[in-house]
Amino acid sequence: MKTDKLQQAGNSSVETESKKTKTTVPGPGSKRTVGNIKAADPVMSATDVNVYYGDKQAIRNISLEIGKNEVVAMIGPSGCGKSTFLRCFNRMNDTIEICRVEGDIRLDNEDIYGKDMDVVLLRARVGMVFQKPNPFPKSIYENVAYGPRIHGLTANRTELDEVVQTSLEKAGLWEEVKDRLDQPGTGLSGGQQQRLCIARAIAVSPDVILMDEPCSALDPIATARIEDLIDELRKNYAIAIVTHSMQQAARVSQRTAYFHMGELIEVGATEQVFTNPRTKLTEDYITGRFG
Amino acid sequence: MQISTLTLIVLAASAVAFYLGKRRALNLVAGQGGPRSLHSMPGFYGAWTALWAAVPALVVLVSWVFLEPLILRALLVSSLPQDIQSLDPDRLGLLLNDIRNLAQGNIVSGEITAVQQSAADHYRHFISLSRLSMVVVCLALSVLALAFGWSKVSPTLRARNRVESFVKVVLILCSSIAILTTVGIVLSVLFESLRFFDRVSVSEFLLGLTWSPQTAIRADQVGSSGAFGAVPLFTGTLLVSSIAMFVAVPIGLMSAIFLAEYSSPRVRATAKPLLELLAGIPTVVYGFFAALVVAPWLRGLGDSSGVDVASDSALAAGVVMGVMIIPFISSLSDDVINSVPQSLRDGSLALGATRSETVIKVVLPAALPGIVGSVLLAVSRAIGETMIVVMAAGLAANLTANPLQSVTTVTVQIVTLLTGDQEFDSAKTLAAFALGLVLFVGTLGLNIIALYVVRKYREQYD
Repeated sequence: MKTDKLQQAGNSSVETESKKTKTTVPGPGSKRTVGNIKAADPVMSATDVNVYYGDKQAIRNISLEIGKNEVVAMIGPSGCGKSTFLRCFNRMNDTIEICRVEGDIRLDNEDIYGKDMDVVLLRARVGMVFQKPNPFPKSIYENVAYGPRIHGLTANRTELDEVVQTSLEKAGLWEEVKDRLDQPGTGLSGGQQQRLCIARAIAVSPDVILMDEPCSALDPIATARIEDLIDELRKNYAIAIVTHSMQQAARVSQRTAYFHMGELIEVGATEQVFTNPRTKLTEDYITGRFG
Repeated sequence: MQISTLTLIVLAASAVAFYLGKRRALNLVAGQGGPRSLHSMPGFYGAWTALWAAVPALVVLVSWVFLEPLILRALLVSSLPQDIQSLDPDRLGLLLNDIRNLAQGNIVSGEITAVQQSAADHYRHFISLSRLSMVVVCLALSVLALAFGWSKVSPTLRARNRVESFVKVVLILCSSIAILTTVGIVLSVLFESLRFFDRVSVSEFLLGLTWSPQTAIRADQVGSSGAFGAVPLFTGTLLVSSIAMFVAVPIGLMSAIFLAEYSSPRVRATAKPLLELLAGIPTVVYGFFAALVVAPWLRGLGDSSGVDVASDSALAAGVVMGVMIIPFISSLSDDVINSVPQSLRDGSLALGATRSETVIKVVLPAALPGIVGSVLLAVSRAIGETMIVVMAAGLAANLTANPLQSVTTVTVQIVTLLTGDQEFDSAKTLAAFALGLVLFVGTLGLNIIALYVVRKYREQYD
């Protein structure tokens, strides 16, 4: 299986985490999250989520809500569990065999780990954009049409054309590619590829878009475009974004969650977290003392 | 002295030279900064001297061994009386053989004449002289070259670069041996084929519909006209190979998909080596299996259902050959499927695609070039496969597309044409080389296409 590598990656990140326990010591006092985990108009809510890779615990008792028309940024040092936590929201952790998720995560008040939840439908409603642009080795058109096709969202070619065009427009890519929709998506530049992946996620009209460090493989100009796009997308979708760049978190998000060693240390309005952090750990991280 | 003893002595001298060279290098710099002020590590100075001691002597030794018979022959011929020298080459060769055998105490054909006896004495004398001078020359050369290499050792000598470039030359020589062998095989097949095409025209060979390679040895023989139309062989080969691919491609591909996408790591770790074990079974064993189990079984099946099945049907050979090829396809395709980046699967799954949708719509298309490459390699393997068809497919050159009939393949005909005592100037025997050439060109073409496709695929992800 292809998950071997992922499992190893998972393991190693947990390992580095446990090593850090010895050096930086979060202290038992940080068990409780500081700040308000509630969103104004929640779409997804996680309550007391624990994630284990085998015996090792990667996420400890995290609760967080993602609200409509807002961008929640998840920040924190490497191996703090923010990506793992993000992947709980569309059950991408299911693909990793040794990964076990406990707790309650709801999408519109429906338990996504419940028996009635079809993971295929869940992922259609909770889209995801990955760290490295991963367009399929198909044409630009086929990349965007992939989701609508497998879910049977369109009745005929005209509708599909329309969905493809709207999605590309929303992702801010239409003008650049409208004359070469039949060319391979892998031939685009890195930033264009990432916007293609966003268009691909939008095409199945999800409620939530999860972004796992979407700009870490891009240059500053492409990053700026994606950030503008995220801000634009906020009007229609709930967005959770994991990022290593604190400037990015400050620029695009309304709320910020700071993760440390598998725990959610602090949540709050982005401005407040960055200007007036309430915990020492958050302050140390934001001011660049570690991480 | 035996050649092997001489070789051992030269190698021993080389070992001594290593020690001497290394010590000289260390002595030269003792008290002046030590080994640090040497250009190379001391061992390289040793290797430098050792190479000088061994290589020139061994080169002379080898060329001596190859050239000696030629020179001796020339000497021997010139020592013979004039009337014998003017014999035709074949007779002269026989005579020289006799003399050589006489000199070495072997059995001689016919009576020994005085001329032969004196020539044999001459020959013996030449040989002992040659051997003696070989030993002297090699040993002297070894010692002289050793001394030369040793005297060259100095802290500024770039021993490492010299030794490394020598090793590089050796590596190049080794790899060119493999390539030159291939070229040699091709050329030998090509020239014999050209001799064949002197007797049978290319168009008759490639387009003729009758294959009956018996040619008359005597003028009054009957029923041996000889017909060299190879089309029935080509169709037979294609028929058996396509049956094999019909079996191998679906089974191999699906097992590859299972292994790569659905099985747990533990199942994969056991199943894949087991599957690859199939590739390790000698083809002759598959041949038994085809001839003794599958073919009779198919025939029995045909009898009981009223269909006429030949006891050596193309189907039996093809099916067993297909089983043999399964591991090629499954193992290669499994590697190809595995090298499709996980990010593509994640991307598809994250869009809400099921596992099977992901496999069919994303993974397989991405892996397709590699899969095509592996199938093409398997096809060339099927076409060139010999043992199974020799044992199970029969010899009758039927021009048919019916898999239940007996057919014969190119490889089977090559085997039958060349087994047993054969004269190498008849069209019958030479036909085997022409068939070999066709086979070679065909599989070479397939391999080139396959490699091209696989390489093109690699560029996408690496």
